[in-house]
Amino acid sequence: MAKPKLSMRDRYRLLTRDLDWTPTYVDPRNVYPYTRYEGIKIHDWDAWEDPFRLTIDSYSKYQAEKDKKLYAVIDGFAQGQGHLSLTDARYINSLKLFLQGVTPLEYAAHRHFGYLARHLDGPGARFASLCQSIDELRHCQTEIHTISQYNKYYGGLHDFGKMHDRVWYLSVPKSFFDDGISAGPFEFLTAISFSFEYMLTNLLFVPFMSGASFNGDLATMTFGFSAQSDESRHMTLGLEVLKFILEQDEGNVPIVQDWVDKWFWRGYRLLGLVSAMMDYMLPRKIMSWKEAFELYFEQQMLEGLFPDLEYYGIRPPRHLDQAIAEKDTLSHQIYWILYSFSHAASFNTTVPNTEELDWMSQAYPDTFDRHYRPLWEKARAMQESGNRLFVRGLPTLCQVCQIPLGFSEPGDPATISVRTSHFRQERFNFCSDGCKWIFDREPEKYVQAWLPVHQIYQGNCGGASVPEVLNWYGIEDGVDNGEYLASRDKRAWDEWHAASVVGGR
Amino acid sequence: MAVKALYDYDYPSADRAENFGDDMLVNVMWKGNMTLCSPACFRAPRGMPWADFKAQMIDTWAATDPDYDPAAAGDWHVDDDAFTPTDGMTLAHTGVEHKGLITFRTAT
Repeated sequence: MAKPKLSMRDRYRLLTRDLDWTPTYVDPRNVYPYTRYEGIKIHDWDAWEDPFRLTIDSYSKYQAEKDKKLYAVIDGFAQGQGHLSLTDARYINSLKLFLQGVTPLEYAAHRHFGYLARHLDGPGARFASLCQSIDELRHCQTEIHTISQYNKYYGGLHDFGKMHDRVWYLSVPKSFFDDGISAGPFEFLTAISFSFEYMLTNLLFVPFMSGASFNGDLATMTFGFSAQSDESRHMTLGLEVLKFILEQDEGNVPIVQDWVDKWFWRGYRLLGLVSAMMDYMLPRKIMSWKEAFELYFEQQMLEGLFPDLEYYGIRPPRHLDQAIAEKDTLSHQIYWILYSFSHAASFNTTVPNTEELDWMSQAYPDTFDRHYRPLWEKARAMQESGNRLFVRGLPTLCQVCQIPLGFSEPGDPATISVRTSHFRQERFNFCSDGCKWIFDREPEKYVQAWLPVHQIYQGNCGGASVPEVLNWYGIEDGVDNGEYLASRDKRAWDEWHAASVVGGR
Repeated sequence: MAVKALYDYDYPSADRAENFGDDMLVNVMWKGNMTLCSPACFRAPRGMPWADFKAQMIDTWAATDPDYDPAAAGDWHVDDDAFTPTDGMTLAHTGVEHKGLITFRTAT
């Protein structure tokens, strides 16, 4: 007689958890040395409820299917010269930002989840980390493969890994993730799994993937669909992790609250780059940053998530009021910074056209016509007179988020906000109350920040002149950087779309 | 609150004054101007005369905005403290510290 078929739960238990054992001749605290020093207390790792019950077998079968579909679309898109049916070559600047800024973070996440897959005490938590580690590696690879086809035709996409480590605006995402990786395992989980992958993920992924879909980029859109099921698994895991830590010990609550406060502001500042991408880099807009923030944060998180977390004693993050107040100014200030320094960036920027300016007047009725339209009109006039605005100097950077100090005082768009702290008789500058608060909690950590401007002045970035620094960045002047209307991308695009074009280029 | 770690966590600051020798980092902000997106950061000798610092560094940077008039720059402050620069005054004598902030306005 055949043995009765095992239930899914029993089968999963046999395939995963029962492979674990309790060490007897080594103290478990020496086997897992990193899970106590942060002050988080876990009494029962077996209370970890695995939300997915995946096995390596089912996981890899499922991922392989998705990969097959994705690569078929990428091939078709590349062979059919899909890049020619984009809305405009200007769109590709958002892909440049994504490949340089986000893809290396996927790889960093892969590495750190691999570390957690070894160092968390519970087998369920370790296995979930292992799956996420493989996901992140796969996302890194598929993003590179999806976007690499554009490298043949457009500037700015080569050397993205080197640029991530060196270029000034990419120190924003890099330092964000380095901050997480150099924290303890529970802070990392709160930072990345919960704050980033649950609380803020829709503000990163939806804009890029919907942006691809709205602008004719079938390949990147398909990557988005392929990653979506993983991302929703990561979201579920992020919430599960948070609830698990909170349920284990009441003493964990204030520690976690502090991390939620810190990582909300860290993540929100990083997403400032996304706000500029949404409002300015997409030729065909999805929605404004303001609308996205209202939908994905104020509605989904503030009205959906945080009322549930109140039960555990967790309140909405500190400095949230300032993020809400900034939604009318954020994208304009960040893109103005990118526009002003795009001679040193590996993408192109330009003045929005009249239709776009009108769209922004409608999307930002309280601020745009009063503060930002005049700036763009001035920039356009300068450009028409042959004096395209590029700042002749280097900006003051925030010690924590590493963005130039280009944000305004809450409620006063015309006044730049500067905050300072002194630590061991040395002065440090910040863009906001949120970043200052983060520094003041752990000054010993942030005094080590690798600030691109200060590093240039210390002689660590190839030289003192702009051409030397660009060379060290891997940015080819006139090909990768600067004004879009004068760019090689724009010239090539116009040639390919001329009436009687023959061949490729 | 100190950094929680399994070991003694103590590292030097990446931009401490000694890394810049006789020079210092100085930030300058043009208040009331939105064309320049942020304050600027300069590396300059502590003993640099004010006239040189202004002409070579501040004026070059601020002239990014074509409406900048070097003669109109005034209302000088180091953080919240007003000061009246003289041509021969050294940068150090303005009272600005390493990574400190000098601000000005232009008469409108």
